[in-house]
Amino acid sequence: MSWAGPEDIFLSTSLASYLDKKLLVLLRDGRKLLGILRSFDQFANAVLEGACERVIVGDLYCDIPLGLYVIRGENVVLIGELDLEREELPPHMVRVSAAEIKREEFLSSISSMNMRICTTSFTSLKEEFLSSISSMNMRICTTSFTSLKAQKAERDATDLKGSMRKRMEFLDLD
Amino acid sequence: MLFFSYFKDLVGREVTVELKNDLAIRGTLHSVDQYLNIKLENTKVVDQDKYPHMLSVRNCFIRGSVVRYVQLPPDGVDVELLHDATRREARGG
Repeated sequence: MSWAGPEDIFLSTSLASYLDKKLLVLLRDGRKLLGILRSFDQFANAVLEGACERVIVGDLYCDIPLGLYVIRGENVVLIGELDLEREELPPHMVRVSAAEIKREEFLSSISSMNMRICTTSFTSLKEEFLSSISSMNMRICTTSFTSLKAQKAERDATDLKGSMRKRMEFLDLD
Repeated sequence: MLFFSYFKDLVGREVTVELKNDLAIRGTLHSVDQYLNIKLENTKVVDQDKYPHMLSVRNCFIRGSVVRYVQLPPDGVDVELLHDATRREARGG
């Protein structure tokens, strides 16, 4: 980003052509800030006037007012010029209050956390199951099929089923 | 400076920039600088439904440090020229 003269700011990568315009700034943590660009430098540090954060959860959104913001350049992913002719968001999206969007955000974070717990538990469960199956097979193979051994294998399988059942109950899959 | 020069030659061409956060944006390369910051025009997000907030963004500035890939037009590279430039750069010229 060079300090280009006024005659070629529109040809350069300088943010000068975005000054005093309404912009969307995407940050590295996924936040979306809207505001008017008042200043910037070569690191993409930026000053946004009348900034607000746009929180989007599913089809709901909310603009939370923040005020005058100085953004450290390293956090910037993208700075987009908003086309005032176009709708900022698709027509099916609904604006809600700050309290409501906070609640939705919380609920969606809970459900995604549950999903993660489930998938990790299932992965470890699967590995446990596969390893016990293979050790069971080994035992069955190495000892000739006496009814005693077969009974033991059956008992093992029942135990395994019981322990898996216990794990599943913890997950509360119903 | 090789890649800076290379990208300067691509100005005006249609490229897709994929960012480290998986957002992919297609647009006309407007300009590039020594940090490989990129300005795109007539942008369109590849997965529009997933990024509704990008709907009204037509022109954008992308910080070079967050770019993962730049997908170029198939004829965007003159291999001979790039080889020569690479050797020159490696020699320190």
